[in-house]
Amino acid sequence: MSEPRRIFTVDHAPSTLQAWQAPTQQAAFRQLLDAFSYPGRRVELNTEEDALVLVLATLLDGGVTLADPQGLVSADDQRRLGVMTVNPEQAQYVVMSGDHVPDFQPVLGTLESPEQGATLILKVDSLGGDDCLRLSGPGIEIETALSVSGIDPAWWALRSSWNGAFPLGIDLILVAGNQVVALPRTTRIQGAD
Amino acid sequence: MNRHYELPLDEAAYSFGFLDEFAKREIRRTILKAISIPGYQTPYASREMPMGRGFGTGGLQLTLALIGANDTLKVIDQGSDDSVNAVNLRHFVELTCPQVDTTERTSEATLIQSRHRIPEHPLSEQQILVLQVPYPDPLVVVEPSEARRKVMHGEGDYSRLLTKLYEDIVQFDEITISHRYPTRINGHYVIDPSPIPRYDVPQLHQSKALVLLGAGREKKIYAVPPYTNAAPLVFDDVPFRIEDFREASGARRACDRCGACDSFLDEMIADDGSKSWQCSDSDYCNEQLAVNASPAEVKA
Amino acid sequence: MGYVAIKGGGRAIRGAEAALEALRTAEGEAGTPLTLDAIENQLRLLTSRVVSEGGLYHPRLAALAIKQMQGDTLEAAFALRAYRSTKPRLLEAPLQNTGQMRLIRRISSAFKDIPGGQMLGPTSDYALRLMRLDLADESPEAFRKVSSQFMAGVSDSELPDTFPKVVDALRSEGLLPPLSLHHQHAFDITRDPLVFPVPRSAALATMARAETGSLLAIAYSNMRGYGDVHPTIAELRVGYLPVMLPHPVTGEPIEAGEVLVTECEVVAMYESGEQDGPTHFTLGYGACFGHNEVKAIAMAILDRALQKGMRDGPSNPSEDPEFVLLHVDGVDSMGFASHYKMPHYVTFQSDMDRLRTTQAKATEQQGVQA
Repeated sequence: MSEPRRIFTVDHAPSTLQAWQAPTQQAAFRQLLDAFSYPGRRVELNTEEDALVLVLATLLDGGVTLADPQGLVSADDQRRLGVMTVNPEQAQYVVMSGDHVPDFQPVLGTLESPEQGATLILKVDSLGGDDCLRLSGPGIEIETALSVSGIDPAWWALRSSWNGAFPLGIDLILVAGNQVVALPRTTRIQGAD
Repeated sequence: MNRHYELPLDEAAYSFGFLDEFAKREIRRTILKAISIPGYQTPYASREMPMGRGFGTGGLQLTLALIGANDTLKVIDQGSDDSVNAVNLRHFVELTCPQVDTTERTSEATLIQSRHRIPEHPLSEQQILVLQVPYPDPLVVVEPSEARRKVMHGEGDYSRLLTKLYEDIVQFDEITISHRYPTRINGHYVIDPSPIPRYDVPQLHQSKALVLLGAGREKKIYAVPPYTNAAPLVFDDVPFRIEDFREASGARRACDRCGACDSFLDEMIADDGSKSWQCSDSDYCNEQLAVNASPAEVKA
Repeated sequence: MGYVAIKGGGRAIRGAEAALEALRTAEGEAGTPLTLDAIENQLRLLTSRVVSEGGLYHPRLAALAIKQMQGDTLEAAFALRAYRSTKPRLLEAPLQNTGQMRLIRRISSAFKDIPGGQMLGPTSDYALRLMRLDLADESPEAFRKVSSQFMAGVSDSELPDTFPKVVDALRSEGLLPPLSLHHQHAFDITRDPLVFPVPRSAALATMARAETGSLLAIAYSNMRGYGDVHPTIAELRVGYLPVMLPHPVTGEPIEAGEVLVTECEVVAMYESGEQDGPTHFTLGYGACFGHNEVKAIAMAILDRALQKGMRDGPSNPSEDPEFVLLHVDGVDSMGFASHYKMPHYVTFQSDMDRLRTTQAKATEQQGVQA
C-alpha cells in the first residue's frame, strides 16, 4: 500500500520553510546569542530542516552581503534570503565548509569601525567537549574545552593572524548538524597547533 | 491636495514585537557584533517607536528583538516596577507581544529592561539585562565630534578622559563623577555604563548574565559579555568609591521599610520635612520584607 | 498568562490621558469635533509641515495626527514617523524629475524674467500682515462662495502646467557645472545610521524631514555671517510632482500618483571646479514634502554650506555636518528635551552623595587648618 498523499489545508502550517517564520528565527537567534555570550558552548537549534539555512535565514537579508564561494546555498534559499552576493574579500558574511582552506582575506574592519569585520559561518562535521582546544576570554568563566572535526587546521592559524590586532578581526560560527558554536574574535584558543 | 484616498483601515496590524522582521534582524546582527567587540558602540539604524527618544527606545528595541513567547519580562525604572516609565514600557510590550509573561520578581524574569539601576539580586546565566542609555560615549565630555571620538576609542586612547578625571581630583580631592562612571571593558573600550549609580558598576564585572546597552536616539548598541572584566577608571592613589549611605555616627543606614543594610537607598522628604530612606529596588525590598517578617505576620 | 497589577504609576498615566482628552473636548456642549478635511484644507500649511517632518506623504494621516496631538507639530510629526516606522517597504522609487512638476507657484530672484514667467501663485510674501478681523466670525456662505468663484472663467487649456528649470539655462551657458548622473545609490537614513563623514544624499535626506525651526536657525546663522553662502534663488517652485513607478508587469514607468513638493535651488559663490577646471557658480539644493518655502530655502543654503564644509573643513557651525545633521531632527531633539521630565532620583541621589562628600572634605580641611 503506497503512502497517502499529504494535502496542506490553509490552517495547516507547512512543515517546510520554517526557517523563514518569525518565531523560529527568534528562537534560533536566542540560541546564537547564547553561543556568542558563552563562546565554546554548544547550542542546539530546534529544527527539522537544514540548521545552516536556519542560521543564514536568522541573520541575513537584503541589508547585508554574503559570499558563498563553494555554492553551499541553493538558488531557492538565496532568493529567499534576498541577500546580495559579493566576493569573499568584500562580504559581511561568508559561508564555507570547514574542510576547505580559504584563499582570501575577509574584511577585518577598521580601527574606527571594527564591526565591519566579517562573520564566517563554517559547516563542519561534529562538535564536542573533548579536550582538543582550550578556550578562554570574555564569556568563559575560566576555560572551556572544545573539539571540532571536519575543519582544516589552517583555519586556526588564519584566524589567529586575522584577529591579531584587536579590535579588528572576524567572528566565527561553526555549524555541525543541529549544533552551533560561536567563536567571537575575543576568544583565545590554545592547542590549535 | 488629493481627495481621492482613504485612511488606512488596519489599526493594529503590527507584527509580534511591533518591529518588522527586517528591523529585528538588523538589531540582532548588531547585538552579536557588539558582544564580539565588548564595549564598542556598534551603530544601528534605530527605528522610531511610539514613545519619545529619551524614554527608552533603545532599550525597547533590544527587548523587542530578543523577546519570544517563552520569555518573562521585568521592566524597572529607578529600580521600581511601578515607576511611570516602566509601567508605560511594560504595557507596550504586553500590547505587542501577546504571549509574553511579565513579572515584578527579578528571580522569575528571563529578560530585564532597566533604566538607571542594576537589580540588587545577582543575575544568572539564564537572564539578560537590557540597560537604557541616553549617552553612550564617555568621551563626549572631552570631544564633541563623533568622528574624532571613534579614532580615540579604536586606539584605546583615553588620555584626555583621564586628564579630565585628574583635574577633578586636583580641584575637589575626589573624582566627582556620580553616575555614568567610565568603565573599561575587557581591557580595551571604555564605556558609559548608562546612568546607573557607582554602586551598581561592580555588578558588571564578571557577571554571569549578558548585559546589553541600547541608545535609541544615538543609535548605538554595546555589550558587556558575561565573565568579562569591567574596571571603573581609577588612579593608584584615588580609589573607586561607591555611594556612601552612612549616618553621621558612621553606621550604615538601613531601609526604613524592610531593614536591609546592603541596598541602594532612595532618600525621601516627608511633608513635615523629615527624611526617610527606602530600597530603590522595589522587588528586593519586598523580598527582604517577607524574609524579615515575624512568623505571625507571615502566617496572616 | 502573568501580568503585573497596575498600581500608582499606571493610575497616574490613565489620569493624564483622561485630562488630555478633557482639554481636547473642553468646548463641551457648544463644540463640534474638527474634521480632517478642515485641518487638511484650512490649516494646509500646518499639515504640510507635519507631512514634511514626519517623513511620510500622507496628508490625511498628518491631519489626524494634528487633531490627536492638539496642534503640537513636534508630537504630530512624531506620531507620523512612528506610524511609518512599522510599514513594510515595497520598493524604492527611481529618480524623479522635478521638471515635470504641475506647478502652483514658481519664482526666480536671479532673473527679472524667465521662460514661463514669474508666477506668484498662493503666497503671502507681498501681503500686508494686518489681522483680518472679518475671519473671526466667518459665515459658512461666504466661505463656500470663494472656491466656487475662484478661476471660474478660466479654462484648463489656458493654464500652463510645467515650466522649464531656470538652472538648465544657467547650465547651458556654462555658469553652472554640467549635470552628471552619478548612479550612486542614495544613502538611506531610515536603514543606516549616520557615521561621519556621510555623503551629500544623507545630508539632504536628513534635512528633508528635519524640524523647520531648527533648520531655519542654523541657516540664519550662515546668512548673518557665520558662513559665506551669499545665496541668490535661481528658482523656487511649489507644485505636484508625479511619482513615476515601474509597472508591476510591464516595467514601464507609470504615474502612481502625485505629491506636493517645495523645491528651491540657490546659486552661491563661485569656486573653481574639480581639478582646477573652469570656475562655476555653486549650487545649493533644498526640497521637502508639502508647501514649506522657508524650509526649502534654509535647506538649500545649508546644503551649500555643508558641501563646502565637507570639502574644505567647517569654519562655522552651519558648515559642520555633524553639528547640523545631528541636531535638526525634531523627533530626536524633542524626545530628549522631554526625557528630562522623567524620574532621575537615583542619579540625583548619586550626585548628592558626591557633593556631600566633597563638602565634608572641604570642612575637614578647614577644620585642620584652623
